[in-house]
Amino acid sequence: MRPIRYIGIHSIIPPYMLEEIAKHGKPHQRDWALRNLASAGFVRGQRYALGVLPSAAPVGHKSRTVYDCKHKDGQPPVGTLVRKEGGPRSKDVAVNEAYDGAGATYDLYYDIYERNSIDNRGMSIVSYVHYDVNYDNAFWDGSEMVYGDGDGEIFARFTKCIDVIGHELTHGVTQYEANLAYSSQPGALNESMSDVFGSLVKQRTLKQTAAKADWLIGAGLLMPKIHGKALRSMKAPGTAYDDPVLGKDPQPATMKDYVKTTSDNSGVHINSGIPNHAFYLAAVEIGGNAWKKAGKIWYVALRDRLRSKSNFASAASATISVAKDLYGNGSKEMKAVQNAWKGVGVI
Amino acid sequence: MRISFERSGGFAGITMKTAVDEKDLAPGEAQKLRQLVEEADFFNSPGKIMSRSPQPDRFQYELRLEETGRQHTVTMSEEAMPAKLKPLVNRLMEKSRQTRKGKDSP
Repeated sequence: MRPIRYIGIHSIIPPYMLEEIAKHGKPHQRDWALRNLASAGFVRGQRYALGVLPSAAPVGHKSRTVYDCKHKDGQPPVGTLVRKEGGPRSKDVAVNEAYDGAGATYDLYYDIYERNSIDNRGMSIVSYVHYDVNYDNAFWDGSEMVYGDGDGEIFARFTKCIDVIGHELTHGVTQYEANLAYSSQPGALNESMSDVFGSLVKQRTLKQTAAKADWLIGAGLLMPKIHGKALRSMKAPGTAYDDPVLGKDPQPATMKDYVKTTSDNSGVHINSGIPNHAFYLAAVEIGGNAWKKAGKIWYVALRDRLRSKSNFASAASATISVAKDLYGNGSKEMKAVQNAWKGVGVI
Repeated sequence: MRISFERSGGFAGITMKTAVDEKDLAPGEAQKLRQLVEEADFFNSPGKIMSRSPQPDRFQYELRLEETGRQHTVTMSEEAMPAKLKPLVNRLMEKSRQTRKGKDSP
């Protein structure tokens, strides 16, 4: 199959035509149209369009593709199709990591939360690897995941950690659900949701209980000479790295240390330490595997209760209320969630 | 001409910074930097160049230039960065990596 990218017409084709293609096109055309609609829906904040469309894949079936950017940048990213669903393993480790990580993430959402892919309609999971040169980042561009190889001095390749992959894919889930605004507290919640489910993908893959898990984000992503074990710690925010070159992990664990800044979309990767730690506290108090109960509570809150402008206080009341609905008023789970948000000073 | 540069955000959330004073640079380097500033049309760039729908985990940049009689600050998101500003940003990123290496070996 030839690589499918319809570069240049991304923003020109009107939505009604995309809908027609998505309904009646050949499979690869439908896939492309669905992704473009998703992207357009994101841009305009309209999600209704997908309601009329068929699923891109049958329920419970993954549809993954991985493209190689060959060190080119671009918006949208441009690449050659190197692996598709069910295809043979690649010789390229980054390709297999992106594919397998997307699979583990799909499986967590489907097996545990009954969610069929990013949009809950079987959307194809598209990953681009080897983006740009020395690119020390990974991101979700509104319709696909993009991974850099790192600079080889500070950062290794970003597909190396399965929690990074779960993190990026969860940005897609958040976009289709609460659509948390990417700034200040809603933005920090958006980041935290990605860290939470990224960590849960890792914990489930390793079959770890909340008590046994390391609760680190990006463990192994920093090169060996850097003084740090990871980029963030949900268990002890602010302790992931302390390095003469990088400085110290700036994350607060509680509201007392909330950071006011205009950098980083008003601190979305900094203050996410607070809701991250709240999730950790809740999961450990509930006990067992964190993806089962704590993860379910956070997922339902993200899907049904949170909105674009939700702040930490709204996340606290949403998760407490979901815990009450799922496990009962005054249940151990509900108390654990209350204690967690108290523990970080949000309530 | 003095430039201060910061890249924040990204998946890692690790801020990279550098401050450059033209008078501390070798003549060739100073000239190159001045050329990049002119080609970027920096002083006529809007103060905020942000994406309407920010893409999660993208970088955010802040550049501040001061010289006799004028100063200007531009804050922009990676995905909204105009092509003409990219060579200047790339040069300043190289500088901020060097700054960090310098810190590494005192």
